Amino acid sequence: MVVSIKIPLTIHLNLYFCLNSTTMKSYSLLAIFLLLWACDSKKGPSKEDFEENLADVEENVVDISDDNIRNIINSIPSPLEISFIIHDAGILYDKSMLNSGDNVSKYNTNDKKALNLGIYGTDLGYTDIYGQNQDGIEYLSAIKDLADELSIGQFFDFELIRSLTESKGNLDSLLLVTSDNFNRINDHFQEQNRSNLSVMLLFGGWIESLHLTCQVATSQSGNAELKDRVGEQKIILENMLILIDFYVKNNGTLDELEGDIAKLKEAYDKVEILYTYEESTSEIVDGVLIITDNSSSKVIIDNSTIKEITKTVASIRNKIIQ
Amino acid sequence: MIGFLAVSVGFSKAQCNADSFTTTCIPKLAEGFNFLKGYKIDGQNGGKAKVEYSYVFTKGTQYMINICSGKAGDIVINLFDSKRNRVASSKIGDQYATAIAFPCKSTSIYYISYTFSDGSGYCGGSALGFKR
Repeated sequence: MVVSIKIPLTIHLNLYFCLNSTTMKSYSLLAIFLLLWACDSKKGPSKEDFEENLADVEENVVDISDDNIRNIINSIPSPLEISFIIHDAGILYDKSMLNSGDNVSKYNTNDKKALNLGIYGTDLGYTDIYGQNQDGIEYLSAIKDLADELSIGQFFDFELIRSLTESKGNLDSLLLVTSDNFNRINDHFQEQNRSNLSVMLLFGGWIESLHLTCQVATSQSGNAELKDRVGEQKIILENMLILIDFYVKNNGTLDELEGDIAKLKEAYDKVEILYTYEESTSEIVDGVLIITDNSSSKVIIDNSTIKEITKTVASIRNKIIQ
Repeated sequence: MIGFLAVSVGFSKAQCNADSFTTTCIPKLAEGFNFLKGYKIDGQNGGKAKVEYSYVFTKGTQYMINICSGKAGDIVINLFDSKRNRVASSKIGDQYATAIAFPCKSTSIYYISYTFSDGSGYCGGSALGFKR
C-alpha cells in the first residue's frame, strides 16, 4: 500500500536520502530541480514564478511506501536511552512524573491503548533503571492489561519479566527481555497491517521520554547536557511528523492533539543543531572495530524555548493519559 | 530428469533464516551494552547488494553493532552519517571485525548498511546495543 503525504521542503530533502524507489527519487529530483530552476534561470524568475514553484514544492505529494514507513519506525530511538541519561545525570527518582497505572481503565479505544502502552513502556524502563521494583510491577500489570486488550499479550513474557523485576541484580536481562518484547510487538503490528498502532505505540513512548527529559531539564536548568538532549529531539520530531501524517492519512484521528503538535513544531523551529563532519579513525582490537568519532555537533536552544517545549509536551502528554 | 533438476534448484536457493542469526547475536553484545534492536540481514541469495537500516544515535552514548553469519567476513558493516559520509567500515584491508564500537559525539540519524563479500551466504543477523 502506498500513501501520499505532504511534507515541508527541509524534510523532503532529508527524505530523498531515505527513499529507495527510483520513482520516488525521480519525483524528489523533479521537485528540487523546479525549485532550483526557479531561482537560477538566466531571465530571473518573477516573484509570482518563485512563489508558485515554491508552493508546488511544498505541496509536492510524496508517496511513502510501507517499507519506508517501517524504516522510519525502526529508526526511532528506544526511550531506555533517555532514562539512562537522566539516571546517569544523578537526578533522583520521581514517580510523580510518570503516568499512574490506575489510569489504565480509562483507555477505551485501540489508539488510546497503543499510545498509553508506549507511555507505560517508557515508565517501566525508568522504574527498572532506578531499581524501583514495586513500581515496576505496577507498570507491568498495566502493560499486560493493555497488551491483552490489543491482542498482543502473547508477545510479553510477563512471568519472566515479573520474576526478573522482583529479583534484584537482573537489570541487564530485564531490559533485554522488555526491549525485545516491545520490538516484536512493533514488528507484529506492521506485519498485520496495523502500522497505525505501531505509530501510536512509538509516539506514546517518545512523548513520555521527552516529557521526562523536559521535566528534569527544567528543574536542573544548569545542566547543559539535559538541555542539549531536549534540543536534539528536533531530529526525531521530524521523523515523527512523517509518521503522524501517515497515521492521519490512514484514517487515524489526532484532533485534540493537532494544535499542540503544530505548536511543538513551531517551538522546535527555533532550535538549531550545527553538525561538523570530520573523518573518523578506527582500529580493530580483539575482533572489534573501535571508532574514534572526530565529528561534532552543537545544539543552540535557549531557556525560553525549553520552557515552551516543556509546556507543549506536557499538554500533549496529559491529553493522552487522561 | 525434470524432477532431479527441480530438487537441485530447491536445494541451491536455501531460505535465509536471518531471525535465527539475529537471536544468536544478541547475547554476543559485549558486557555492559544494553540491547536496543535486532536487525535481520537477508541478501536474498545475492538479489540485494546491501541491506540498510537507520537509527538516531545520541551524543555521549557508546553503541555497539555486531554481526553473526555463516562465516567470518561474510558480511561487512558500514556506518554512514546523515549526510552519507562514511563513518566506519568493519573491513579494514584484509581484516574483518565482528563488531563495531561507536562512541557517538554528535546526535544524528546514522545509516547502518550491511554489504556482502565475495562468496557470501547473503544471510545474517545483527544486534545493536548501547552503554553510557
